[in-house]
Amino acid sequence: MSISVKLDRVLLDRGMSLTELSERVGVTIANLSILKTGKAKAIRFSTLEAICKELQCQPGDILFFEDDGRPIRDD
Amino acid sequence: MIRAIGKGSLASILAVGLHIVRVIVWIAFAGLSAAIVAIPLIPPFAHWLAGLDGVSVNGDLDVDVGADDFVVVLRNFISFGVALYVVERLLELLKTLRFGTPFVKENAIRFRNVGIALLVGELSKIFIGILAMITGADVDADLDLMIFIAIAAVFVLAEVFREGARMKEEQDLTV
Repeated sequence: MSISVKLDRVLLDRGMSLTELSERVGVTIANLSILKTGKAKAIRFSTLEAICKELQCQPGDILFFEDDGRPIRDD
Repeated sequence: MIRAIGKGSLASILAVGLHIVRVIVWIAFAGLSAAIVAIPLIPPFAHWLAGLDGVSVNGDLDVDVGADDFVVVLRNFISFGVALYVVERLLELLKTLRFGTPFVKENAIRFRNVGIALLVGELSKIFIGILAMITGADVDADLDLMIFIAIAAVFVLAEVFREGARMKEEQDLTV
């Protein structure tokens, strides 16, 4: 997928663990792991809002677009 | 109201029925497989048997097993082969339903394969019809429009399942 997630970098900058973020935003560790490892197919605005609020960052700090040349729906 | 999954559900009733059908179709298919192999061997075997020392045949030896019989057996062999393949796939589909995971890519493939098998089974009637004309065998080789519509419905269902599986995966991977 052309969208990459840099959640681990932001977490490292803030000195916060995934477990702590999970407790603060109310999203399971399993789901945050899916997001962190780039396996997620979609992210809800509510989830993104909660993460940005807790990490004091912008959506663009977490999500990046890098064109890998593959078609959008490659399933 | 009948439940979708679990004990006493339509899926489990269907599964029991299909398991019984599978056993019957397997027995018929095994018998037909044996017949396919045996039919060409029967006349030479009978003549060989008649020629053995100590065996006497009164009158002419007439072994009434010909090419027309082979065509009839071949027709049923294909029909039961297709039926067996479809029943096996349906049982696999029901298994995923009972486990609560029917919307997976594998089921879309299973439905498509069922459609292909039914199509091959139906189109084989053309081949059987030609053989019946040559040998004079009495077999039903008429093509039925309704069966082709049913096959189209299976292919449509396969595509619906493919999209359903994609949506389910997207839902599972939405955080």
